Amino acid sequence: MKNIIEIKNMSYRYPVSDDFCLKNITFSIQKGAFTAIVGNNGAGKTTLCNAIRGFVPHFYKGELAGEVIVDGKQIVDYQLGQLGEKIGYVFQNPFSQISGVKDSVFNEVAYGLENLGVPVDEIIQKVEDVLKLVNIEHLRGKNPFELSGGQRQRVALAAIIVMDPDILVIDEPTSQLDPIGTEDIFDVIRLMKERGKTVLLVEHKMDLIAEYADNILVLHEGALVMQGPVREVFSDPKYATFNIQYPHVTEVALNLIDIGVPLKFIPIRNEELPKALKMEWEENND
Amino acid sequence: MKLNPILNLHPLTKLYFSLFVTISVIIIPSYIFAFTWFPILLVIAIIAGVGKQYLDIVVKALVLLLGIVFIMQLFFYPGDQVIGEWWIFEATKEGLQYGLVLTSRVLAMGSAFILFFRITEIRDFVKALEDLGMPPMGAYIVLSTLQIIPEMRRQAHTIMEAQKTRGVETEGSLLIRAKAFIPILTPLILSSIASTEERAITLESRAFSAPTKKTSLHKLKRSNSDRTIPIVLLILMISLIIWRFFL
Amino acid sequence: MKRSFKDDFNMLAMLLIPIGVAVNLVGFQVANVLKLPIFLDTIGTILIGVVAGPWVALLAGLITNLINAIFNPIYLPYALTSIAIGLGAGYLSKFGMFKQIGKVIISGIIITFIAVIVSAPITVLVFGGATGNTSAIITATFLAAGQELWTAVFSSSFITEVADKVVSVLIVYFIVKSMSDRYLSKMNYGELYMKRKQR
Ligand SMILES: Nc1ncnc2c1ncn2[C@@H]1O[C@H](COP(=O)(O)OP(=O)(O)OP(=O)(O)O)[C@@H](O)[C@H]1O
Ligand SMILES: [Mg+2]
Repeated sequence: MKNIIEIKNMSYRYPVSDDFCLKNITFSIQKGAFTAIVGNNGAGKTTLCNAIRGFVPHFYKGELAGEVIVDGKQIVDYQLGQLGEKIGYVFQNPFSQISGVKDSVFNEVAYGLENLGVPVDEIIQKVEDVLKLVNIEHLRGKNPFELSGGQRQRVALAAIIVMDPDILVIDEPTSQLDPIGTEDIFDVIRLMKERGKTVLLVEHKMDLIAEYADNILVLHEGALVMQGPVREVFSDPKYATFNIQYPHVTEVALNLIDIGVPLKFIPIRNEELPKALKMEWEENND
Repeated sequence: MKLNPILNLHPLTKLYFSLFVTISVIIIPSYIFAFTWFPILLVIAIIAGVGKQYLDIVVKALVLLLGIVFIMQLFFYPGDQVIGEWWIFEATKEGLQYGLVLTSRVLAMGSAFILFFRITEIRDFVKALEDLGMPPMGAYIVLSTLQIIPEMRRQAHTIMEAQKTRGVETEGSLLIRAKAFIPILTPLILSSIASTEERAITLESRAFSAPTKKTSLHKLKRSNSDRTIPIVLLILMISLIIWRFFL
Repeated sequence: MKRSFKDDFNMLAMLLIPIGVAVNLVGFQVANVLKLPIFLDTIGTILIGVVAGPWVALLAGLITNLINAIFNPIYLPYALTSIAIGLGAGYLSKFGMFKQIGKVIISGIIITFIAVIVSAPITVLVFGGATGNTSAIITATFLAAGQELWTAVFSSSFITEVADKVVSVLIVYFIVKSMSDRYLSKMNYGELYMKRKQR
């Protein structure tokens, strides 16, 4: 499979700080993969997203070393405006994530398509579809300024996926959402993956990462300390050293192992724990 | 949909009309002519269903101004035909004449302008300007200003309340009140400036600077009246000019 | 450093304009609530001029008056004054006149002169010498004392403007001082006011 994103020895320093907040990062992402980026606060997750989207260095300036290649082309060779269609970016703060000029959710979601010059009939059709997909049809007439944080997060996501970009970079899309809202968003993301999109997601809710993502990148103090398939990363003892959350079930499993309960494998999804216990038990009773 | 024949006009038609009123009172020096405009404008406002708010704004914005302008001219405009005296001041006939001319003009122009914005949605007006070739950035600036103002008013109010409960004095001597100003305004300004960074990223993410020609869900309609009214106004304007300067 | 209209315009500059306008309006309103004897309605324009340059501030001033004029058309002709204040603040900033408090006060006086020179002719030619604000009474007093109309309008508007503008520039000075380098670094003239120089 083709690598749609390639990052080689990338380091980055913001213009007003002395230290590099991304240090010598190298990884690549295959087209159609769902990759989660995890790490503690300040680890550099958002900065990495900005680097992939080209806001680092196009907008934030500062010093960028190494290479960021998106779809075969160096990021520095793109114009900021060109990347909008290729990479959809939903960022962390839902409150500032509205255009500020539209008076209804429907128009807000349509804004990106208007900017891309899509014909009006097509815009209306696409917006209708996305409102349904993200489950915000009931908000269509509301003023975006009057939405709650969770509602804004859904609108922000809708406003990006309506533009149908090949790559989705999504930074903590569920921070303001309740469990049901969070599940909804992950369902949408899964659907995007089924449609062949490449997804990069920053998220602290490890249970959901374990359930949906293919691969994980672990950032720690600006360095990429681990990468690989979700299951491998969570079962690697090295992961524990960074003090990042585990999926709940993995946490429980590791505690069980600690107190001497043997497990056949380390579960990362809820339904796997009974299975791991059962397999171990059957083996012992054979 | 609104069915009102006046509200339904294209914003530019309404703009041309307001400009027509403004220019006509400059061409025709008669204050009777200029004063006649106001009742006409009021009737238009009433037909458009905005009579009351229109009158409110005209009264609030213009009455005091007109009073002062009139009194100033009455007493201070250079002239020697004294028609009345008050304390050390003398009212002159020239002053009365010029006072009426000036106030009638200010009233006609001011109330035409007010009417325009009573019967035109700003969003429609901005769209009309965009259609005329105003860059998207210009449209963005105006529309986002209109959204930010109430937002910031609300924040200022919240901050003021919070300061009061924290014991920052907002009443008392001038110095005390003046001191309260900075802690109210500074956080407001700093946080708004901080938010511009993310707003810029939002706009870029929505392809604001994509190198294509934008489309718009918002379309302005042009009816037959929108084609005829500007022509009628133009003919009237030319006739006025000819009548005033050549006959 | 040579800058033109186009250099001054980028997306961040564009986003600053609405903020400048809103600050003008809200500043005026808060000054009103606190019953201060000055208007404080140009803080936004001056601030934009200082950090983003004359052209951006010009637009902020213009739009402020256009929006005010929707409810009070007196503001419309005085859009020229706001524009001049924006341009003035921008150029003063460019020439380093907002860096030390002493210079800032001088800037305030220069801006007062700019405002008076542009607004007095409007007051005389459009409104015959007085509008509905406090300076009308001062103008009337000067006129009654036998002064010429123009002198009376100039002096009365200088008297009402000077305190307002000096206080406004001082407020702007303190606000710029408390802005973090992170944001200053992205503004057209921000580098002038950064605590640490960019590498
Ligand atoms: N615009 C900026 N200018 C200067 N420094 C910045 C900027 N944005 C972030 N930083 C710094 O860079 C480092 C990485 O920040 P980043 O926002 O990428 O972390 P994060 O992993 O996304 O954290 P969180 O989980 O809190 O979102 C932090 O030390 C932060 O202070
Ligand atoms: Mg982050």
